[in-house]
Amino acid sequence: MLRPFEIHEPATVAEASRLLARLGEQAAVYAGGTELLLLMKEGLAHFPHLVNIKTIGGLDAIAFEDGVLRLGAVATHREIETSPAARQHAPLVARVASQVGNLRVRAAGTIGGNLCFAEPHSDPAAVLVAWDATLVLARAGGERCVPAAGFFLGMLQTAREPDEILTAVEVRPLPPGTGAAYHRFALHERPTAAVAAVVTVRDGAVAAARVVVGSVGPVPVRVPEAEDALAGRRPEGEVLRAAAEVAGRRADVLEDMFTSTEYKRHLVSLLAARALHDAVSAARTAH
Amino acid sequence: MEIDRPPQARLRIGLTVNGRPVEAGIEPRELLLDFLRNRLGLTGAKRSCDVQVCGACTVLVDDVPVSACCTLAYEARGRRVLTIEGLARDGRLHPLQDAFIEHAAVQCGFCTPGMILTALALLREVPAPTPVQVKAHMKDTLCRCTGYWKIIDAVVDAGRRMQAGEAPDAGGGAREVAPRGKP
Amino acid sequence: MTAGRRDSGEGKGGAAAPVDVVGTPVSRVDALDKVTGAAKYTGDLIVPGMLYGKVLRSPFPHARIICVDASAAERIPGVRAVLTGRDLADLDPYYGHAVRDRPVVAIDRVRFAGEPVAAVAADDEHTAHAALAAIQVEYQELPAVTDLTMALNDGAPRVHEEALRPGFLHSGEFRREEGNICYHYRIARGDAARAMAAADVVVEGDYTFPAVYQYAMEPHTVVAQWSADGLTVWACCQHPYLVRAELAGIFRLPQSAVRVIVPYVGGGFGSKSYTRMEPLTAALARKAGRPIRIANRVDEAMLTTRRHNMRCWLRTGVARDGRVVARECRIWLDTGAYADNGPRVALAAGDAAPGPYRWQAVAVDAWAVYTHMPPAGSYRAFGATHLQWIGESQIDVLAHRLGIDPVECRRRNLLRPGEEVRPGRKPLEADLAADVSKVAAAVGWGTPKPPLVGRGVSIGVMGAGANPASTAAVRMQADGTLVLLASTTEIGQGARTVLAQIAAQELALPLERIRVAGADTHVTPYDRSTGASRSTTVAGLAVQRAAADVREQLLDIASRVWGLPRVALRLHEGAVWHETESRSYADLIATHFGIAGGELIGRGEVAPGRGDGQAAGPVFWEISCGGAEVELDPSTGRIRVRRLASVADVGKAINPQLVEVQDEGACLQGLGNAFFEEMLFDGGQLINGSLLEYRVPTMADLPDEFHSILVGNGVGPGPYGAMGVGEGALAAVPGAIVNALLDLGLQMRDLPLTPERVWRRLREVE
Repeated sequence: MLRPFEIHEPATVAEASRLLARLGEQAAVYAGGTELLLLMKEGLAHFPHLVNIKTIGGLDAIAFEDGVLRLGAVATHREIETSPAARQHAPLVARVASQVGNLRVRAAGTIGGNLCFAEPHSDPAAVLVAWDATLVLARAGGERCVPAAGFFLGMLQTAREPDEILTAVEVRPLPPGTGAAYHRFALHERPTAAVAAVVTVRDGAVAAARVVVGSVGPVPVRVPEAEDALAGRRPEGEVLRAAAEVAGRRADVLEDMFTSTEYKRHLVSLLAARALHDAVSAARTAH
Repeated sequence: MEIDRPPQARLRIGLTVNGRPVEAGIEPRELLLDFLRNRLGLTGAKRSCDVQVCGACTVLVDDVPVSACCTLAYEARGRRVLTIEGLARDGRLHPLQDAFIEHAAVQCGFCTPGMILTALALLREVPAPTPVQVKAHMKDTLCRCTGYWKIIDAVVDAGRRMQAGEAPDAGGGAREVAPRGKP
Repeated sequence: MTAGRRDSGEGKGGAAAPVDVVGTPVSRVDALDKVTGAAKYTGDLIVPGMLYGKVLRSPFPHARIICVDASAAERIPGVRAVLTGRDLADLDPYYGHAVRDRPVVAIDRVRFAGEPVAAVAADDEHTAHAALAAIQVEYQELPAVTDLTMALNDGAPRVHEEALRPGFLHSGEFRREEGNICYHYRIARGDAARAMAAADVVVEGDYTFPAVYQYAMEPHTVVAQWSADGLTVWACCQHPYLVRAELAGIFRLPQSAVRVIVPYVGGGFGSKSYTRMEPLTAALARKAGRPIRIANRVDEAMLTTRRHNMRCWLRTGVARDGRVVARECRIWLDTGAYADNGPRVALAAGDAAPGPYRWQAVAVDAWAVYTHMPPAGSYRAFGATHLQWIGESQIDVLAHRLGIDPVECRRRNLLRPGEEVRPGRKPLEADLAADVSKVAAAVGWGTPKPPLVGRGVSIGVMGAGANPASTAAVRMQADGTLVLLASTTEIGQGARTVLAQIAAQELALPLERIRVAGADTHVTPYDRSTGASRSTTVAGLAVQRAAADVREQLLDIASRVWGLPRVALRLHEGAVWHETESRSYADLIATHFGIAGGELIGRGEVAPGRGDGQAAGPVFWEISCGGAEVELDPSTGRIRVRRLASVADVGKAINPQLVEVQDEGACLQGLGNAFFEEMLFDGGQLINGSLLEYRVPTMADLPDEFHSILVGNGVGPGPYGAMGVGEGALAAVPGAIVNALLDLGLQMRDLPLTPERVWRRLREVE
């Protein structure tokens, strides 16, 4: 049951930021509510003030400008999934939006809400870390950009300061010769394990690779050992297998009530192999 | 329709429910499901899982399915809400309602309102879906009785008939809303 | 569909004209209400002055209650009453149809985490919920036995130290043993040890089955109201007359002072069998002096009743030629803190252990065991679902070992029609060998298989129909339309439709002229229960007899009016006919009463005492027969079902479409039980009490192909030779899947078949 709260409707980001600064721990940003209201209904958290940032003009825009795809923080998963701009410039980001939760959650939930909640099983989080997306955080005094990889600090914890608003996610189209892929394994609505991979292949060898493991640990994380296992090598058979195996071995894995860490590591290796295979295939055809 | 302010009401909202304008004083924490069921007496949407997994509380807000159990009534301000009670028009059932009856896609009936509204959203995007498309779109709406096959049959059939022009959207179904066997 | 029409033999003279509404897939009589949102369920009702109740539940699996202080909660504005164990002093506060061991609300002690300790009545749900936190409870934690092993240890703390009384319903079955044994059921036939020693090949193993949640989509909901006349309860219960009897016992009221009304029910599957939240709601309403509604949440529903988790040891011996010889079995069922339906589940599990085979000797022991866990009771096909997959798996292991085709092995050993299933009980009606051949063919048995594809079948019989005591009444109104009164509840199975079809058939009335009343113990006559696949078979027979009673009255009147013998008359389209002349039913009733009014009342009953069915039972043997073809992904252990088939042996399908959809639903629940459904506990605490973490089947889990094969030989004991369905497929599916995995070399001994479990087994085999 929800305890009483007030809803604030700031007109600007600055106003929202000032409200958050003033209300401190009494307030939460309300950007879709699919996670927040669940938590509050269960009595696991209570905020007497919700600051609704969906009333701020333009925060829901999805646009491709100056070579950057900008996803407004309160764009819903459904809007991203169906956005022509997202589909054209970051097809994997659009596709992963279609895998979030269920169709009703996707209609209400927003990309900003999803990322700021930092639920460990977030699909977009893993993909955006691999993609090296930039998160734009704003407050009354100005704004700063944080790479997605630096945003997630722990389970339900992010680098966002209490008076900051995530206003947009900036996604650059992949450079030539680069492919991306995401594979997940789900027993429930939220995945058990997931791997996102972005690989650049130049002259038949891996020029850059980002391998991100999601859902098994507190936050989505890169696995440098797996990336190192690929660097400079021809992305084929044994090389990919070895990198995938390392991803499973090195990933930060937590046990849960459904699955053992051993099985999760196995899944990570398996998903990493699939994601690397698909990313490399895509890279070879991406010019 | 004008709805009284509850004692703790601090928000005033206007919305359209099943085509009729509604003005209401609400509490910010009031859930859309409770608003529809307790304040408007529209009990077709059901509370089951209460964590937006099952779909029994599904209503359409601006034509999009939402879980009313986890949506604030506040979110419906200025928008169009369609519940199962608003689907039949001019005394005729919607073709989906007809098809659910004909295909025995209804058992205990607790999932039926949400299931039909979810199907309606699908038919507006994909007018004559295949069984595969129905499964993909509706897999997040649970039914514990039927085993789903008859629901899929009903949605496919309704889509086919609507596209063939045998049954227009919004009313126009074969059956009357009136009780069976009027003297 | 191979049904043959069989004369009911119930009516004498003036047989019903061949309207033949029976056997046709007419639309459900409740469908219009349900597709328009007009159908009212208990939670949709508002009684004037109604308050809202919330329940405070124990955080500990076992504790002494030192003190409950509700004074702060009572002072909250809007709170009208707080109920605790102290408020029960003038009542007989323990209930339970099998064992009267469950208090309305905890008295001095809690026995499972989640047990109701207090309940609040308030003006609105928010206030009631907030008041729970203001109730101060002081507990002294006590050692708990939170699994079967702990409960069965020597010197384990006893869940019930006090003397227990048998419940009103199953006193004959109440066999309390030492320690935490709640009930013991034993089958001993022949000398199993000696027969086993003489068997050529023997297989044995230990198996487990998890706790499972029925997930009726409507959680338990009750409205209770007191008046000078007594207690009225609106509840989504399956057995209104049993609930009434228990409420009358608790509140020391005559049964006629308790009225139980059942609106539409949002699924049951056993979770709404017997008495659930009704006593607590009624006690709170009594204290508040106002009507109350209590609606469980999903996690509360899970803690109210569930399927038993089980441990089982099974041994099977066969001769070299494939003949089955002996089976020995030991079954331990965790019934939780209160017996609930544990004794019956133990009995059904024990009965399912031998399977439908011709043994030389059988020895089965089944124990229901008390633990400090949430109580376990009925869930569709209980006992049979627990055991069938285990017995059927050993049949396949032995068949593989002997080099005999598993289907052929079954054909050689399955009981034939007319053979004894269990000593002293009703012989088998169905042709099991034919049934198993049908599902085998439907999943491609004997045709080439792609790699990683396996096939399996499973067959069993379960005693169904529960106790065959039902009554019904039909009231033909002055205009010739009919009101049908029966207390079978409409839980989605289509009872109202099937009963209307039976009355329509008997009275040659268009279906549109019949209305079926919802169950209401002040209005609709006695029925024992709604479950065990009995509505069509037993309640249907009572309705058929009630309708025949009115038919006889109509014929008597017509015979007097025309001065003709009854054999010269027939019924057709709402009228009695003599050659080309007709008098409508309305006409006849008006003539009979001499005014434009009156009604004809027909009465029907099914009573074991009058020789209906055999006292030893069951009413009929429900067939549980399934086949599966699965594909294994060895990299993840995930299994995809390519083909699934089930036989629904219905005797006669009154409404084939409703039979099909019942069977399809049971199959899907079978997939859920086989693949992922499991309530998880940590030290007695439920840890996946939400649909986010308790997974039930979705459209994405459907097999590629599904065959529901309706078989009707007209041999059932119900009207027109019908017998019930709706449960068997659930018990059949896990066995078919387990055997399909065995076909791939994976012997599974624990359900559910999670990908991790299958993956681990695969690595052990490799």
